[in-house]
Amino acid sequence: MERTLKLVAYSLPIIFAFAFLVPVIDQGMQALGLAAPFGLSTLTFALVVGGGWGLFAQITGRWL
Amino acid sequence: MNAHSPIVPSDLSQLSDGELKKLELKIARKYSGKVPWIAVLWAFGNMAVWLSLWPLVFMEILPLWAAFPIATVCMALVYLPTHEAQHDIIARPGTNLRWLNELVGHATSWMIVYPFEVLRITHLDHHRHTNDPELDVDITVNSKGPWHAIWNIVRQRQPNAKRNTDYLAALVRANRLDLIVLSIAYKVTFIGVLGALAWNGDALEALFLWWLPYHLGITYIVFFLSWAPHHPGGEQGRYRNTRSWKSKVGNLGSMGMQFHIVHHLHPYIPLHLTPAAYWEMSPILEARGARLGL
Repeated sequence: MERTLKLVAYSLPIIFAFAFLVPVIDQGMQALGLAAPFGLSTLTFALVVGGGWGLFAQITGRWL
Repeated sequence: MNAHSPIVPSDLSQLSDGELKKLELKIARKYSGKVPWIAVLWAFGNMAVWLSLWPLVFMEILPLWAAFPIATVCMALVYLPTHEAQHDIIARPGTNLRWLNELVGHATSWMIVYPFEVLRITHLDHHRHTNDPELDVDITVNSKGPWHAIWNIVRQRQPNAKRNTDYLAALVRANRLDLIVLSIAYKVTFIGVLGALAWNGDALEALFLWWLPYHLGITYIVFFLSWAPHHPGGEQGRYRNTRSWKSKVGNLGSMGMQFHIVHHLHPYIPLHLTPAAYWEMSPILEARGARLGL
């Protein structure tokens, strides 16, 4: 139980990134009429950017 | 004696420290002991306004751009009624309205993703150890100036921030490990709700009605309730660890925190009565060496 809790608490940045950040970037781009580069879909782009940012936060312990 | 009749004699120079203390307590008691209904109304009115934004936006009655600033104000206003409840100001343990005190705390603190008991334990710890570099849970807010403070407040909400460790330590000191679990549950639920909304196509509504207002609100709350009244935060001791100060955005704009010294000295006085209590006891505070800036 304690181990699971620690794992959940530790993983919050990456969970947040895929649960919320990715769809925010995706739908934000669509709302602003922005196209993703390299012919990617906005969702794929959001997965790369949001996932990458989440990974950065997970590893470094900070978003900024 | 009515609430506005003065107690302080014109010449305090002949009074001993004990006599000054007695006078100060007499004034403090004059402004305490009544239920601050304004805080109760504030708590539930604010929550009702914020909750109403969701259907109003989803039904396209209110545009998201208009709801966003309202949501931000709502988030900034969540904390203070819970703060009254943390100090048992609405009703003390064992009194008839004790349930209301606890209801105000528990029913509204979830909006800022904190269990009420966590807010209470950590805040009371701040009162016990104000400006103690090891034990004050709010010590990380200390900064050189306002812009540095804003950056620091944002920085201290990062996953690896010392503030998280300080809050955890306060809960451990209080032997309330159960609240650590509850705090994680609150955060997971917050992300869960945001995620559920976002993956169902309402990411921007979740962003502008909760996530961003929450972060702006918390920054505002910590700036005015924690940084500004204690700045520069280097002194300890009852009359020196906080201050009265002149806010550029006025007393309302700084949520009554110009008179924070009264709150630290007498935390049972309701927020809306601290200005009157301050003006009445300010000669005593001055005589006792308090940091006064008004």
